[in-house]
Amino acid sequence: MTSGFGLGLRTQHYNDFLAEPQPVDWLEVISDNYMVEGGKPLVMLDKIRANYPMVMHGVSMSIGSINGLDKEYLRKLKILEQRVEPMWVSDHLCWSGVHGRNLHDLLPLPYTQEALAVVTRNVEQAQEVLQRPLVLENVSSYVEYEQSEMTEWEFLREVYKATGCRLLLDINNIYVSSFNHGFSPIKFIEGVPVESVTQFHLAGHLNNGDHLIDTHDHPVCDDVWDLYRHALLHFGYVPTMIERDDNIPSLPELIAELDVARAIANDVLNKKIAL
Amino acid sequence: MKLAELQNDFQHALFDTECKGVDWISESARGLSARDRLDIYYNAYRIRLIDVLLDTFAHTAIYLGDDWFNQLAGDYVQTHPSIHKNIGLYGKDFPCFLAEQLPEDKEISELALMDWKLRRAFDGADSAVMIQDDLQQLASEGSSIYLQPVPTLTMCTQHFNTLDIWNAINQGQTPPVVEPLPEPIDILIWRKGYSPHFRSLARIESVAIACVCSGGALEAIGAVLEKDFPDVDVAIEFGVMLHRWLDEEIISI
Ligand SMILES: [Fe+2]
Repeated sequence: MTSGFGLGLRTQHYNDFLAEPQPVDWLEVISDNYMVEGGKPLVMLDKIRANYPMVMHGVSMSIGSINGLDKEYLRKLKILEQRVEPMWVSDHLCWSGVHGRNLHDLLPLPYTQEALAVVTRNVEQAQEVLQRPLVLENVSSYVEYEQSEMTEWEFLREVYKATGCRLLLDINNIYVSSFNHGFSPIKFIEGVPVESVTQFHLAGHLNNGDHLIDTHDHPVCDDVWDLYRHALLHFGYVPTMIERDDNIPSLPELIAELDVARAIANDVLNKKIAL
Repeated sequence: MKLAELQNDFQHALFDTECKGVDWISESARGLSARDRLDIYYNAYRIRLIDVLLDTFAHTAIYLGDDWFNQLAGDYVQTHPSIHKNIGLYGKDFPCFLAEQLPEDKEISELALMDWKLRRAFDGADSAVMIQDDLQQLASEGSSIYLQPVPTLTMCTQHFNTLDIWNAINQGQTPPVVEPLPEPIDILIWRKGYSPHFRSLARIESVAIACVCSGGALEAIGAVLEKDFPDVDVAIEFGVMLHRWLDEEIISI
């Protein structure tokens, strides 16, 4: 029940993974970092892939862009997918720039029927190239739009229903957005179809008092661990990973944090069975 | 408001010279105002791109110091929207930008170009490299030999003691005072194994490598060198160079 706990592969930990087996069930790689022509990144990727299952996680697809997807990006992503043979391929439910410009950020979409149609069209384009369901992650956000017609979780549900894509729920992002916009994170979790979720992210954030920033440079906080418990109760077991992008600690420290996730999942899911 | 208009307006708001309020972001009953919320994205855009420049142009940043570098990087971000999916390519025009901004301090753009080219070599295309046996095999076949540089091989020309400045910074030492060189020198940059490498080139070697890169046969390169360097024993010089190129893994197969 507690298999399936992963970490994001970071360059700082290459040598740890090459030196000896680590108690990590799988690794998530940032696709964009390996969509390069050659050199050390791809050599390390191949060596580590030989010993660990992997999932691919992208940051630049811009699935909500009105302009549609970048064909060259999809082509390179497909080449990497064939190299890695990942369990699944994910990106974010957001947009990152239009008209050939890149903002290099995960900008939220308005939750409208029009945006749903755009995302549906783009997800279909990606799935056509990848020949597998795309997995989409909810982002942390700091703005909401006047024109939104539904909640974020309703929008996620509609995207799933329209495209057959899967969802990566970032528990920290749910927490951050719920704090910033004043919605119930429990309602969010309960609004997402159980069968749609393929992966959880757990991460830390920065608390600025009147708002939270999704920095991925802190350990997971107690409120997010609590929300993870709720998510486990609702979804059952889902492959889970700790996502740390900045202020990256030693691998043993991250593995200790992953062990907390394992223990919580064990505890919650055993109790759930007992009920 | 249609999605196309919203995305266009949002992007413009981030590119603007200051963060102005917009009417399509909800005013929330709690926390930050709509403008302050937009400001999070406005600042994050700048910080993220300046960080990328800092990472790519690490030696240039140390040479300039934090304040000056951040000011120049901020000006670059304001005037150069990213056109790359790969954020690592964002600094492509930064060396040129520095040359325009600092016409009196050309060593700075030379330093930046060196940082840029070394970074590009890091994850440039792979290729199998030629070894002595391969060359001997080709020679024994009797036909003309064409050498192909490894895909990461590139050159840059320096008019100042930029290489010494780069090396000093790289070793954590105080860089020497900038000085113009009596003659410009060419710097060869390529990747050997996992690591970007570089070294300065003597004039004759620079000409030889330029010939290799433009696809000349071995005999033709020899002829060019004999014409350009009449005082040099080209047969010996060229043999030494070839040997070194193979050792340094700059010729692909
Ligand atoms: Fe995440």
